[in-house]
Amino acid sequence: MDNFGVVLALLGAVLAALMAGAGSAVGVGRAGEAAAGVVTEDPSKFGKVLILQLLPGTQGIYGLLIAFITLSQIGILGGNVEMSLAKGFLYLLACLPMAIVGYWSALKQSRAAVACIGLVSKRPDQLGKAIIFPAMVETYAILALLVSILAITGIGGLPV
Amino acid sequence: MAVLQMQRISIYGLKKHRKHILEMIQRRGVVEINDVLQEDSIFQQADMSAQKTQFEKNIAASRQALEVLNRYASEKKSLFASLEGRKEIDAAEYDAFAQESEKVLHIVLRINELSKDIADARGSIQKLETQIEALTPWVALDVPMRFKGTKATAAFIGTLAGDLNQAALEERLAELLPQTPIQVDVISSSREQTCVFLLCRKPDAANVEDALRTLGFARPAAPSKTPPAERVKTLEGRVEEQRKIMQAAEDEIKGYADRRESMKFMVDYLTMRQEKYEVIGRLMQSRRTFVLTGYIPARDADRLSKELEEKFDAAVELSMPSEDEDVPVLLQNNKFAEPVEGVLESFSLPGKHEIDPTSIMAIFYYFLFGMMLSDAAYGLIMVIGCGLALLKFKNMEIGMRKSLRMFFFCGISTTIWGFLFGGFFGDATAVISRTFFGKEVVLGPLWFEPIKEPMRMLMFSLLVGVIHLFVGLAMQFIQLWKQKKYKDALYDVIFWYMLLTGAIVFMLSSQMFVDIAQLGFILSPLVGNVAAAVAGVGAVGIVFTAGRESRNPAKRLLKGLYGLYNVTGYLSDILSYSRLLALGLATGVIATVINQMGSMGGGGVGGAILFIIVFILGHVLNIGINLLGAYVHTNRLQFVEFFGKFYEGGGRKFSPFGVHTKYYKIREEK
Repeated sequence: MDNFGVVLALLGAVLAALMAGAGSAVGVGRAGEAAAGVVTEDPSKFGKVLILQLLPGTQGIYGLLIAFITLSQIGILGGNVEMSLAKGFLYLLACLPMAIVGYWSALKQSRAAVACIGLVSKRPDQLGKAIIFPAMVETYAILALLVSILAITGIGGLPV
Repeated sequence: MAVLQMQRISIYGLKKHRKHILEMIQRRGVVEINDVLQEDSIFQQADMSAQKTQFEKNIAASRQALEVLNRYASEKKSLFASLEGRKEIDAAEYDAFAQESEKVLHIVLRINELSKDIADARGSIQKLETQIEALTPWVALDVPMRFKGTKATAAFIGTLAGDLNQAALEERLAELLPQTPIQVDVISSSREQTCVFLLCRKPDAANVEDALRTLGFARPAAPSKTPPAERVKTLEGRVEEQRKIMQAAEDEIKGYADRRESMKFMVDYLTMRQEKYEVIGRLMQSRRTFVLTGYIPARDADRLSKELEEKFDAAVELSMPSEDEDVPVLLQNNKFAEPVEGVLESFSLPGKHEIDPTSIMAIFYYFLFGMMLSDAAYGLIMVIGCGLALLKFKNMEIGMRKSLRMFFFCGISTTIWGFLFGGFFGDATAVISRTFFGKEVVLGPLWFEPIKEPMRMLMFSLLVGVIHLFVGLAMQFIQLWKQKKYKDALYDVIFWYMLLTGAIVFMLSSQMFVDIAQLGFILSPLVGNVAAAVAGVGAVGIVFTAGRESRNPAKRLLKGLYGLYNVTGYLSDILSYSRLLALGLATGVIATVINQMGSMGGGGVGGAILFIIVFILGHVLNIGINLLGAYVHTNRLQFVEFFGKFYEGGGRKFSPFGVHTKYYKIREEK
């Protein structure tokens, strides 16, 4: 049980990659179904709907990013893995914003993306606006990412 | 860097010159037709819908013919076909093409006819094949299927359900009809059905039929007059015939492959004429004259009117559009700003009284994009890729050229930010030198590494945001000033400047904020107090003026307070720029992960091969994802945060009567 801290920290990293990734996978898949429907009708819209399909995919990348920063901070990618229980817990908490917000924002963003794919299929000239609606949801994933990054990089220097 | 001034143009000409005048205007492509005149007893519009419909029909036919041609004799296209743009032809070539348009139309119709023949033949083949299939079980039968028997015998030809053999069938019949002589022949049998030929004496025919019915006997649906084998042969002959027809039609279509260009021209030619006839339908015409009204950019007005007056004796009248007219918008910008016009257009073109924000937006666009992608190698790839394409394909379509130029400039910015933040394929130099050469060479940042100092990067991102928003407010100020709304400029811009600047300076003088932000400096308390006072004045000003539309003082005050509440909007706008940090880190960290995965094979040849594969695949993926991310979020910062401060849009795009062709561009003789 001496090294339980690192277990908690790893749990945090894994949750960030896992939940945000799962959310993005579902989101991109859902948007992809809608996009495929549009392309059956008009193959020339492929490029436009592809952009919209990819929008809910970024959360997975942010999750990966957090997981990677955590892994390198706690020394799993080569280095010393000694860690106090409190510190491990701190890492776990720091990863939670990205894990939780990443998961739900990807799902909700995919709904906006699906709606906007419908928009683009009827009015292809409105792509600029159609991108903005899903991008609004993304803001919250970015804020969560930010909090997680700042927290994780800050924990290293704490005397616990 | 501006919205072009538009003028109203009215052209009065003689009908005999109508064709030439319209063709000239169409080729110049600078006039948007806009009819404002009412019909009266002398001037009337001509109904051109019949001609237009005919053109539309022929355009559809030509497109279809091209499609058919591409199916049977596909066109070789280079990988970069979309970059090449339309082929240019000069006026003489155009006239030569136009001369033979009748002939080409003939070919078009012929191709469509052949295509229909092929479809018909394919249909008949299918039908024949079904017939052949139905006859296959009967091939062994050597009499016609309608054979009823001889003078003394009756024949039954048909099917029974299920798989029966001769012995079983004879047994069943013997059970039902003892004492009756029946000749049973099983022609063929499968799991579903058994085809049989039965012969009995004529007097027994009725009994046999009854017995057969209880066994589920059915006569074939389409019995042949000739023996089945013979019939199959005839049908196969017909199939062969149809195949020959198809082959001949295909060959003939392939023979027209050399006319593909004429057919493409046909589509263009008809599209142009259709557009012309649409305009003719909107002209006001008397017996010998016509009037055309519309908008023209002021810069082209003089040249066109002079040309029209000299060549065709037409009278041209130019005037300023009145205040309440819905004037179309056309932008003009220099080569640096022009590429982002498309981005602006995808939001909305400037409405009335709004200035064209393209040039200011361009600077921030490249700046923000570069910060988000921030990898020197990715930037260089963009610069080289777009630069080569721009150099090689001179004849590119304008829209494509603009996008490539935009990414070219974004690439330059990305490269600069990449070197400032020390990203070159992430940390590729360090990983490669460490893994394969045993000595680490780090490409250090020229400024600082965001991943090592995220707080510093966050503060810088927010600073960029504050500048961006302040410039947006300044644009609002200019707009209000130009409309002579000086009071609004004070209330809506200056007070906000005071409040925001004061608040920021005050924060910089507080120990707590400086600690959080890890800044290396702090302003003196005196400066802080002055700033707080300035912010206070601004806030009071906003409370008293934000509700100035309302007469009721209580309502006015409440609206004013709500106006002040907008400060939270500014807070969230500024925080929104933290995405600059997040996206910049995303590029760098993913690149690092890729390099690390690649170097897992260690040094040596095997490791090098693994590294190269992972490196190429990984970085292609990373460029793709982050290019998309940077594009989307730069747009968002422009559209939501920046435009939110001053820009509404709502302008209508200038869409001139012109040559809107798909395949050819007609070069103008100057």
